[in-house]
Amino acid sequence: MAVFSWVGSRRLLSVGALSLPLWFGVSEARAQDGQSLYDIGCASCHGADGRGASPDRIAFDDPLPDFTECSFASREPDADWIIVAKAGGPVRGFSETMPAFGEAFDDAQLQSVMDHIRTFCQESAWPRGELNLPRPLVSEKAYPEDEAVWTTGVNAESPGAVVNQFVYEKRFGPRSQIEIKVPFGFAPAASDSEWGAALGDVGVGFKHAVAHNDRSILSLATEVKLPTGDVDRGFGADAVRIEPFVALGQILPNDSFLHFQGGVEFSTEPDVVEHEAFLRTAIGRTFTSGEFGRAWSPMLEVLGSVDLESGSRVNWDLVPQMQVTLNTRQHVMLNLGVRFPVTNTDQRGTQFLAYILWDWFDGGFLDGW
Amino acid sequence: MVGSRGAAIPVVLVMAVLSSAVSLRLSVPESGAADFGMVSGRAFLAEGTVRLLGTAPAGEPIDMSADPFCREQHDSPVMRGAVEVGPGGGLSQVLVRVRTAPATADPNLSDVLLDQQGCLYSPGVVAVRVGQTLVIRNSDATLHNVRVEPKENRGFNLGQPLAGIESKRQLDRPEIGIPVRCDIHGWMNATIHVLDHPYFDVTREDGAFTLPALPAGEYEIEAWHHTLGVSTQVVTVADGSSTDIIFEFAAP
Ligand code: HEC
Repeated sequence: MAVFSWVGSRRLLSVGALSLPLWFGVSEARAQDGQSLYDIGCASCHGADGRGASPDRIAFDDPLPDFTECSFASREPDADWIIVAKAGGPVRGFSETMPAFGEAFDDAQLQSVMDHIRTFCQESAWPRGELNLPRPLVSEKAYPEDEAVWTTGVNAESPGAVVNQFVYEKRFGPRSQIEIKVPFGFAPAASDSEWGAALGDVGVGFKHAVAHNDRSILSLATEVKLPTGDVDRGFGADAVRIEPFVALGQILPNDSFLHFQGGVEFSTEPDVVEHEAFLRTAIGRTFTSGEFGRAWSPMLEVLGSVDLESGSRVNWDLVPQMQVTLNTRQHVMLNLGVRFPVTNTDQRGTQFLAYILWDWFDGGFLDGW
Repeated sequence: MVGSRGAAIPVVLVMAVLSSAVSLRLSVPESGAADFGMVSGRAFLAEGTVRLLGTAPAGEPIDMSADPFCREQHDSPVMRGAVEVGPGGGLSQVLVRVRTAPATADPNLSDVLLDQQGCLYSPGVVAVRVGQTLVIRNSDATLHNVRVEPKENRGFNLGQPLAGIESKRQLDRPEIGIPVRCDIHGWMNATIHVLDHPYFDVTREDGAFTLPALPAGEYEIEAWHHTLGVSTQVVTVADGSSTDIIFEFAAP
């Protein structure tokens, strides 16, 4: 989940009572280390080893998560798990069986419990879920993801063609990801001006996170674009292109973040399609409505590209946008934005952009609403 | 007490018995707040007993070995599904209420306690007024979760990991028979009733109950038991007399 919007403890007191009339904190709960709090409060269900208690020791059937499974545990940001432990499963669209501990443990204690849960996954190769920053409309993220994104662009000016792109990303191992991009849309043909459906240049890509720490993640990636597109309708470029790039995700203070992507697109037919260098960056910040509510992430994306051979064309675009989580689980998101050309505006028009993102690892599209 | 609510249909035999002979000790003055808007100007006590006819189910011993703390709290096995009867077949933990009383608010109600002790709820049935504070306490040195699943009210599920921990809740709407359970100790069940008027009582160990003084009139009175079901009767509270109400449930 691309949410790391935990906002300190001050807010908690005001809304933590879940609109129930009385707040009753047990502040005298001893200052114990995370492990003993976990053993007292969580192990009955989640197991002392974090794998889930055996069914004969509990009185419910809901499947329990396996906290030792890094591929699952590493991608969940602390803040999301603390919210679940504090307010109970339903706050993130999980089962009612997961109780609320907000009146038993204070925030510092819940954080220490979380620190203990983090020890169950022993492999440091897995970048933490906090580094999975909100996805911009155009730039590629550094974090390897399991997600499906459907982006639509509509040109504001004539001819009003609709351009879609479906992206499917699949993570494997701690740090790698493959992806497939399928552009498609509706546009009039240049030859006979008849409107029709068209396929674009299908792309396949590979990404690997080469370095990460608590606040930064750096990936190298390559994408290959195949000339499958319907050039007559303006889709595709009639040349194979190979696009190596570097992507950086950086957590900034105050729930802010930065994406950077830079690379080169090499063309097999430089006479038809020139080599191009590009640079994309997005800066944003996440806000949460209420303590447990939607995450809103306004972002500003800056896109630049230049033709390498002639150096003739230098394009700069600005894309202000807003991403918002749609459901309680927060694994389905919407992003709306507008791409404004800053240079070469006579050749390029304004475009409305939107995507629906489904983080399919976190549950089915219809789960957790 | 799990599971079979409503399966056993109660046999209701009984009537309101007017016993003028004892009315002298029983008639009480009107209480202003409790007035149904009727005109008699006086209110009369309605009390009675709920009994079980037949042999009370003994239940089955609970295996508490999954949690050694729980097991150590009991010298002899606790029985699950047992219906405890007092002398003369008196049935405890029955909610007896006037079904048709108008809603009244009372700001000065003291808190009601739902405790967890020896890995059992104590008491197993609590009745609160709308807005009255329910204190949910864990007196055990083991983790309980308190899962309250109402239909009309807002549900919740509290983790109570420490002995002495308390949470307070108020329920906003009248609702009879809200189930409470612990997902760790599957034998732990309780019932919360929420009423918007004071004309109710939960039977004591001998099956006895006392309703607040009622103005003379006809009332539909209901007895509700979590496994034996519901029984209703129309009772006439007569001027100048007390009313003795008897409910009888057949053992399953
Ligand atoms: C009564 C049993 C029970 C107790 C006690 C309990 N949990 Fe859970 N917990 C569950 C269940 C069941 C789920 C699975 C919910 C689902 O997947 O819908 C869960 C899920 C979670 C999750 C969400 C994992 C995910 O899928 O993203 C977290 C985090 C969590 N529990 C933390 C805790 C912590 C911390 C404690 C102790 C303070 C605790 N739990 C105590 C039953 C329990």
